[in-house]
Formats: sequence, structure tokens, C-alpha cells
Amino acid sequence: MKLDFSILWGDPGLLILQGLVMTLKLSAWSLLFAMLIGLVFGIVRWLGFRLLEPICWFYVEFSRNTPPVVQILFWYFSASYILPPWAFLQLRDFGYEFGAAVLALAIYHGAFIAEVIRAGLNSIPKGQFEAARALGLGLSQSLRFVILPQSTRVIVPLLTNETTALIKNTSLAMAIGVIEMTYQYKHIDNFLFRGVEALTAITVIYMILCLLTAGAGALLTKYLSRHVQRRGAQQPVLASE
Amino acid sequence: MNWERVWTAANWERLLVGDLFNTGQAGGLLITLAIGVGSILAGTLIGAVLGVMRSSERRWLWVPAMLYVQVFRNVPLLILVFWAFFVPPVFGLNVSQFTSVLLAISLFTGAYIVEIVRGGIRSVSPGNIEAARALGMSRLQLLAWIVMPQAFYNMLPALAGRYVVSIKNTSLAFLIGLADLTEIGKQIGARLMTAPIEIYLTLFLIYFIVNRGISSATRLLEKRERFNALFLRV
Repeated sequence: MKLDFSILWGDPGLLILQGLVMTLKLSAWSLLFAMLIGLVFGIVRWLGFRLLEPICWFYVEFSRNTPPVVQILFWYFSASYILPPWAFLQLRDFGYEFGAAVLALAIYHGAFIAEVIRAGLNSIPKGQFEAARALGLGLSQSLRFVILPQSTRVIVPLLTNETTALIKNTSLAMAIGVIEMTYQYKHIDNFLFRGVEALTAITVIYMILCLLTAGAGALLTKYLSRHVQRRGAQQPVLASE
Repeated sequence: MNWERVWTAANWERLLVGDLFNTGQAGGLLITLAIGVGSILAGTLIGAVLGVMRSSERRWLWVPAMLYVQVFRNVPLLILVFWAFFVPPVFGLNVSQFTSVLLAISLFTGAYIVEIVRGGIRSVSPGNIEAARALGMSRLQLLAWIVMPQAFYNMLPALAGRYVVSIKNTSLAFLIGLADLTEIGKQIGARLMTAPIEIYLTLFLIYFIVNRGISSATRLLEKRERFNALFLRV
């Protein structure tokens, strides 16, 4: 079979671009909610409330140990049983696939982000928090002015990894029919028989998206640690003489 | 909730082994584990070889390894699965669903393990390496007897994380129509029509048990004596 990449300038290209917009929307919303969930659960786990601890543990372990696709399917298919009928009908008119995908991805990645945030907070000596409290700063003040600014340096690189993982996982939303890039590939393959060309384009686009995210994260990390003194540069281990 | 309709003996049999005893077609957890274990082994092998290459100082060794990592880490696994399943037939090659999913997940997992191996190799203290060099070990001996065993021990937690992700990722197989655990679950759900919560909770439970099993098993290995007894019999 002959490949003809010039077809990408026609309809298939437009379809892919529509898919790209959907992928970006899906990523942005899921990332927003995942960050919120992660921040709340991460801080709660870090503070170590006795009562909330089992709930947080259960959420994080459960969410991290089950496949994201199954979570997407779960939130999509069981919504009509969990939600009251009026709410479900409203959601269905609004386009429920999108909502279910955002919900599932936010819950799945929220668990990872919670662990990232907890690790970042743990990297600051507990004494600083105690000192801040002793000086009369409230809980939220000591977090905002003392702990979080220092731990962002640790959190941001890990968060970048999570963001690229989230962007990649938005491709799973095609399982419930969200019309994003991967779905557009199937569509182009089925109806226009230009699968290989479309798949190549989509692969390149995903790669660019992920590399841009990683690059932005690296820049931000560099900016955040501009005041940190570097320890001696690491020697290559398997160096040849 | 009507669990009694979901948790019947026939449904459990399909979830665990698929139609193995009816039509001889394996499926369910059996296929999930086959892909999972296969991709874990293959991915570790790819990761170990390329990870050593990545740690090398010679450009013709580390550049290909770095390119591999950048390409396979920055593409969704689903896209890799599609490449492995839908593209070969276009060029007249027929690949089974099982092979293509196994291939895609192995390559994907391998790319992550490369970086883990690289980190593990970095974590070995330079003094050990100098000592081994001073004793007159060749570079290969150094790698096999000094660097890799210590690096492997340090890599265990990260590796366990990747293995769990690998098992989770096998669930993508249902998107190209392989009868893995998720697909069987979907089929049962579609047949019952009114019990999606129960069936998906059952799927969660099975995946959870398998993945927690992997984490716990590696946590057992993190006891130094146990690890040494298993891998470092001198």
C-alpha cells in the first residue's frame, strides 16, 4: 500500500485538529480537578489526622492499583445508578462522556498527585512547621508562607511527570466515546482508510505535547531552584579512563 | 445491589480463565496475567540492556538509548497498541492481538525501566567501582558482580511501581478486542444490563488484589537478608 501524507491537509487533518482541541480540554479539566484532589488529600495525609487517615489510604491505594480504563468505564456506566435521575438526565444532555472521563482521570491522577504532594511536604523538616506554628502562624498561613514555597522545588518535577502521564491517559477516554485524538484516528481509519498517516500525525502531536510539558516543567524547576546552591556535579559512574 | 446475579460460578469462571474449559479460548485474568508477566519480563530485559547503554559515556551507546526512551515515554500506550495492531496488516503482516499488546506494553515498560536502571546504576557508590577496578576486574565483571546486584536492590521499589503499572496497562487489550479481564467484565456487564456497579467493583477488586500482591512481594524482597539469600548466593 502506498502512503500519502498529503491527505493530512484535507479533512483528516481537520478531524485530528478537532480531536486535539478535545484532548487539550480534557487534559486541562482533569489536571485542574486532579490537582485539587491531590492537594487536599496530600495535605490531609501529611498532617496525619487519625480519623481521616484510613479514608485517604483507601482512596490512594485503591485508585493507584486499579486500571484507569476500568475507572473510566465504571464512572461512565454506573452514573445512572449512582446519581439521582434528574441529575443524570441533565448530565446526559450536557455530554456525559466528557464529564465521566474528567471525573475518572481526576480521581485516578489525584491519587498520584496526593502522593507527590505528600512526598514534597515530607521533604521539609517537620521542625519548620512546628516553628511556624509556635510563631503564631495559623495552619493555612504556615502552609502558604513556609512549607509550600519550599516544597514546590521538590513537587514540580514530579508533578510534570504526572501531567505528561495524564495527557497520555486522556487517550483512554475513547473507550467511552469522547471524540478526542485517538478516537479521531479510529474514525479516519474506519471511514477514510487513511489509518497509518493519521496515526503517524497523532503520534507526533502527542510527542510534541508531552515534550513541551516536560520542557516547561524543567524550566520551572530551574527557575524555582535558582537560589539553591548546587552540590558537586555527579561523576559518570561507568566512566572509562 | 444484586450481587447474587454477578457472583455466579459461571461468571467467576469466565472472569478468571475465560472460555478455556468451554471452547478452549483462554481469557479473563489468565490472559491479563500472561500479558502482564510477559511484558514485565521483556520490559525488564529491554530496560536492563538499554539502561546500561544509557549509563555509558560513549555517545554511540547512550544516544540510541536516550532516543528510545524519549520516543516511547512520550506517546500514549494506546497509540503504541494501535501501531502494533492496526499498522502491520497494512503492509501485509498479520499480528495476533495478543502479540501486539504484549509487544506494545513491553516496549512502553522498557522505556521507563531504562531510566530506573540508570538511576540504580548511579546509586552505586564510586568507591565500590574503584575498588573493583583496582582488583583487576574487567568492565563486564564489574557490571555483573559489583554494580548490577547493588543497583537491582536499590531499584526494587521503583521497579515494583512499574510492574503494577504494567499489570494495569494490560486492560488496554480490550480496546483491540482481546478477551482480557476488562473485556470479560464488560461482556458480563452487557449481558446483565442492570448491574454495572457490581461488575466493575468486582473488576476493581481483582486488579487490586493482583497489584497489591506484586507490591507486597517486592516489599518482602526489600529485607536485605532475604534478597541476598535469593540473588547473591556466593
